[in-house]
Amino acid sequence: MIHPGNPRVEPVLDVSNLTTSFRIGGEWHAAVRGISFALQPNETLALVGESGCGKSMTALSILGLVPKTNGRVEADHIRYEGKDLSRLPDEEMRKIRGNGISMIFQEPMTSLNPVLPVGFQVMEALRYHQKMSRGDGEKRALELLELVKIPSAKSRFKEYPHQFSGGMRQRVMIAMALACRPKVILADEPTTALDVTIQAQILSLLNELKAETDMSMIFITHNLGVVAALADRVAVMYAGDIVEIASVNDLFARPTHPYTEALLRSVPRSDRDTKTLYSIPGAVPPLTRMPEGCRFAARCELAIDICRRQNPPLETLPAGGAHSVRCWVRGDHDLTAMKEHADV
Amino acid sequence: MTDHVDVLPEASRHPFIDQLQKAFRNNKLTGVGAVIFVLIILVAIAAPLLAPHDPLQQHIIARLKGPSAEYWFGTDAYGRDILSRLLYGARVSLVISLTAIGLAMVIGSIIGIIAGYFGGMIDLALMQVMDVLLAFPALILGLIVVAMLGPSMENLIIAIALTAIPPFARTARAPTIAVKERDYIEACRALGFGHPRIIVRHIFPNVLSEVLVMGSLWLATAIRVEASLSFIGLGVKPPTASWGGMIREGFENILDNVWLSVCPSMAILLVVFSLNLLGDGLRDAIDPKTRSDS
Amino acid sequence: MLRFVVRRLIFAIPTLLAVMTMVFVLVRIVPGDPAQTILGDQASAEALQTMRERLGVDRPILEQYVEFMRGALVGDWGESMVTGKPVLTEIARVLPYTIELTVVSLIIGAVIGIPLGAWSALHRNEWIDYATRVGSLLGLSFPAFVSAILMLIVFSIQLRWLPVISGGNRATFGEWARSLALPALNLGLIMAAYITRVTRSSMLGSLGEDYIRTARAKGVPERVVIWRHGMRNALIPVVTVVGLYLGILIGNSVLTEIVFNRPGLGKLIVGALGQRDYTLLQGLMIIYTFVIVIVNLLTDLTYGLIDPRVKYQ
Repeated sequence: MIHPGNPRVEPVLDVSNLTTSFRIGGEWHAAVRGISFALQPNETLALVGESGCGKSMTALSILGLVPKTNGRVEADHIRYEGKDLSRLPDEEMRKIRGNGISMIFQEPMTSLNPVLPVGFQVMEALRYHQKMSRGDGEKRALELLELVKIPSAKSRFKEYPHQFSGGMRQRVMIAMALACRPKVILADEPTTALDVTIQAQILSLLNELKAETDMSMIFITHNLGVVAALADRVAVMYAGDIVEIASVNDLFARPTHPYTEALLRSVPRSDRDTKTLYSIPGAVPPLTRMPEGCRFAARCELAIDICRRQNPPLETLPAGGAHSVRCWVRGDHDLTAMKEHADV
Repeated sequence: MTDHVDVLPEASRHPFIDQLQKAFRNNKLTGVGAVIFVLIILVAIAAPLLAPHDPLQQHIIARLKGPSAEYWFGTDAYGRDILSRLLYGARVSLVISLTAIGLAMVIGSIIGIIAGYFGGMIDLALMQVMDVLLAFPALILGLIVVAMLGPSMENLIIAIALTAIPPFARTARAPTIAVKERDYIEACRALGFGHPRIIVRHIFPNVLSEVLVMGSLWLATAIRVEASLSFIGLGVKPPTASWGGMIREGFENILDNVWLSVCPSMAILLVVFSLNLLGDGLRDAIDPKTRSDS
Repeated sequence: MLRFVVRRLIFAIPTLLAVMTMVFVLVRIVPGDPAQTILGDQASAEALQTMRERLGVDRPILEQYVEFMRGALVGDWGESMVTGKPVLTEIARVLPYTIELTVVSLIIGAVIGIPLGAWSALHRNEWIDYATRVGSLLGLSFPAFVSAILMLIVFSIQLRWLPVISGGNRATFGEWARSLALPALNLGLIMAAYITRVTRSSMLGSLGEDYIRTARAKGVPERVVIWRHGMRNALIPVVTVVGLYLGILIGNSVLTEIVFNRPGLGKLIVGALGQRDYTLLQGLMIIYTFVIVIVNLLTDLTYGLIDPRVKYQ
């Protein structure tokens, strides 16, 4: 069913060399730096990393929602259904948003419009993309609210977001995203703002929905525990780079990049003493002060000289599968050769 | 993204200085407004030196003349030089407005600080009175007060100050309440500092910037109200030149000579606009939305 | 909802009473004898005494106060000291002129100010935005009589498009519109300057909200994102501020009525002040206060139409 890296199956979404930059104080700084990945049909790819690593920006770039006034998106291509989203005119892009590709946001409290009824907000995409009549739209929107398990959906159809709890609002957001049966869903930390019990409910709902439909999903999170439950493949991002990408089993079995390792060590586990819970020293560098070389070097216990001078390439590990990593130390590099080369 | 502005009085200099710098740096029009307003004040002070004629001197043969080398902006119905009357009129306008707003700032701030600092029934009673005053359109309140007391410079000042006190009271009250809750005020009380000392040393500096910004905006309103009252016929007594009064006279002769009303109109517009430019820039700079308070 | 309206009206009573008391006091602390003012310097002592009795100003002040309050509450506002006609009749005669002027000005202000403010916000920091911001600041720097006179000079004297005296002629619709055009445009443009500024800043706020991004992510056309999602939310603060600006509008209408020589409350109040017509003045004050109470109530009710989070209880 899953075809990671299988060239015979056409990916639904193929991102190649995506760079998203922002103008800060007159200079352009890349928040996402030449990342590439392909999303297979019915696959869930998790984008993992701390906040400020460019995960959300990646999703917004795919959807063309990066503010044009101070943001810039460049890519070799972002291929979806034979179209290159990075070069699509605004109106064509609009027809894809919420239709072929839709997004679920992190903050259910502020992401719904407070002055419009929830049913109407769910219906909106149907009205514009599928040109549904009001009656059909309402019928389908009601089905969607029932699909995401909103109790007594019919009577709540005309209620407003402030009458819903956080978890219920996130269900509404999910219903909105599902409205036009999209091929790809971009879920940006959909459970982060919710209580733990509600988080579990939303995750199992997403899992169920994914099993019932043939959609693919990019799931953005900083929580590796969630990744294990949901994802097929994982891309770990750090400061705008993908530093490691592998199937979920490979990643958990053989975390290779020191950042991935550190992330795994900082997941709270019931079988370990929480007092020794690991936290990664330091913080993601701000956009305006990105270091030369490997961006994680400053926080990395294994960092050597070259790490601070040159950013390593993302390379496939020889062990097979599709496990790639961006690391001088842990990757498959002949460091002595590199060193000589660098000295020349 | 936001400049860090320290509102605690421990800061070596008052935050208003930083806010001023920010206002003039971020918006060049703030500076333009300030420069124009200062120039107008200088011109008003120097009116006796600058005026080419006596503003009260009538020339029956030179009535309602258009602009000429002798009379740059022409003459009015009594043959008086419009330019000279404009220059002297600036004094009337500015003296009334500045005094009225100065009074309103002081009285309004005191009322607002007392209401905010002591709270309870004092707050309720003071603010109730302010709300009743505020319910009235400023111009109508000013109109009644001046009409009742009789038109004179003092009464104009009283009327304008009265309409401007409530907004200053409101402006001063909010930061007072916010500061009062801070820990260091509690500490001051615990150290046995009296209310007057706490108010003067700790509350007042925090109220200052917002009151000053309100002052520049309300000065614009005061000049408008003064001119409006003069236009209605409730300004300083003729023959003293005031801009609103000049427009009133010009309006009576509007079919003969439009200069009479256009010149003082432009003068009022220039002052009010310069003050609004200044006040608007300052307000943006101290806007709580662009300020971090902790 | 009805309960809310009734409650609000009941709460307005103390304000109304306070204003009435203030008016009563203000009117009476004035130096000078109203009878003298009305009859003039040549009046005989008997005539003055008769006039004082007719006006009731010879009675003890407290008695006058009680009588005034009682009358005001039961709708007996007395007779004008000058014309002898009931105050209510005098007010009712000109009230429609002021109401039509205010309403049309408000509509002009909203029709110009709301789209202009939104447009400015959408082009933030472009020259259009700067021009709108400076232009609206200039607009609200105009004393209403200055702009009225300039309009009169341009449209009536130079271009001769419209009558110099707007008189409030209502014989035909054309006459009505011609007499209302300049006064309403004058007040409307000043109002538009205020509304433009609030709309711009509240629109900037609402366009930065998460739900705008959600709407875009749904593929809703940009036009709909801006007007349905952005504007509805941006209007909430606009309504508050428009309610507050109505005081400015009422003040400005006095000046406008004078310049265009148009009947209305403003002309009536200036006349009453000039002639020391206390009873008429008291009536006018009550009307103004009442109007402000009603406007505040309407403002609150308008919230309910825009913002579902508002509950009336």
